Amino acid sequence: MSADMGSQTMDERPATPTRHRSRWPWWLPAAILLLVIGFAAYRLIAGGSATPQYGIAIDSPTPAGDFTLQSSRGAVSLSDFRGKPVLLYFGYTTCPDVCPTTLADLRMAMQELGEDQSKVQVLFVSVDPERDTVERLGAYLQYFDPNFIGLTGPLAEIEAIANRFGVFFQKNVVDSAADYLIDHTSAVLLLDADGKLRLMFPYATTGKQIADDTRLFIR
Amino acid sequence: MHASSPLTVDKPKRLAWRQPAVLWVILAVIPLVAVIAFAVLQPVKVRPRIGLAPGYAFTDQNGEQLTSEDMRGKLVMYDFTYTNCAAPCLQTAAAMHDVQALAKRMDTAGLLVELVTISFDPEHDSSEQLRRHAAAIGADTDNWHFVTGAADRLKNVIGGGFGVFYEPDGAGGFTFDPTMVLVDGNGIIRAIYERTLPDMQTIERDLNLVVTEVRNSEGPGKLVYEAAHLFLCYPGS
Repeated sequence: MSADMGSQTMDERPATPTRHRSRWPWWLPAAILLLVIGFAAYRLIAGGSATPQYGIAIDSPTPAGDFTLQSSRGAVSLSDFRGKPVLLYFGYTTCPDVCPTTLADLRMAMQELGEDQSKVQVLFVSVDPERDTVERLGAYLQYFDPNFIGLTGPLAEIEAIANRFGVFFQKNVVDSAADYLIDHTSAVLLLDADGKLRLMFPYATTGKQIADDTRLFIR
Repeated sequence: MHASSPLTVDKPKRLAWRQPAVLWVILAVIPLVAVIAFAVLQPVKVRPRIGLAPGYAFTDQNGEQLTSEDMRGKLVMYDFTYTNCAAPCLQTAAAMHDVQALAKRMDTAGLLVELVTISFDPEHDSSEQLRRHAAAIGADTDNWHFVTGAADRLKNVIGGGFGVFYEPDGAGGFTFDPTMVLVDGNGIIRAIYERTLPDMQTIERDLNLVVTEVRNSEGPGKLVYEAAHLFLCYPGS
């Protein structure tokens, strides 16, 4: 029965005048769909999608809390930067390799952001308040980016702040008491414009990667 | 049927799907349906990334230092207690014991599972006391560490970082919320078991979820897991 109907319509079709009201070929939307899917897949794989690619995202971000420490510009609080994403890093100025590498990555990230870099703040918290004075921090960070802010304060306070951000540090006396290194967790943290912890960039995330993810949080 | 067929033949229905308007709708609907299907059906489940676990440096039962950095790259179950905690004090030790046994028989694909018991009673819980306690509860100290440290640091880490309440009860003991916390290799809290003691099935399920996610953390599989995080595809509690 239905086969009859089918053959009937098939036979009649050539006789029917064309019903295409639009001049667009019927397959155009299908082709566009394929293009869109292809492009979305490319974007997801090649980066630049709307979700962070490189940092590890916290699923339900909560306010990270506030702190106030000293800088070469006077007292600075984390909450001073509400409205701007903050890249937070813990290190010290006599750090031999890890900190300069990460700070260079952060400088790269800022250059990558171009004009938008004024909408992002980098904070460097010293885990060596004994040696890192505000002047020393300020001079050190000049080498990387004059807009980076170096922070220091009482050891116990810094320790409490660092622990809160998942950072552990301690003195590692090498040979003489006068010279020591500090072992510390090396991760860059991204707080959003509302002061919520959003991303953790593990050590060795490149400047471009940090910039790509940070850009998503700029207002 | 036969009567109506001459009428239907001329209707544009047969060719309807070829009309651009219909195709445009399909174009918009397909990705939407795919996204909704993923969010509703949740083909992939993940444990949420709850927050950063605190950094710490404490002393273990052998008098050696244990830090949060030592635990990087490993899956860690934490609990918080004091060794003088006797019945009717609610203990998480039995559950931790089961986790240790579970970790031994589970296929974790080379991912190390460690256990850390943090005592908030440094006054009584010396390294020696922690060692005795470990032996008393039959812990295998190869991957189960018993640690403590200075009182103010403990408060920062346990109270501030892990969010676990404890307070001296004035009679030499403590009032506290028995809690277990699962932390992944990136130092991120993935599960908090509080108030009631977790059953082993829940813990086993959660450990498996994290292990499977770590196993798929490279390549295209990562995208699926990131989508699962984005759409809050969490297992029920």
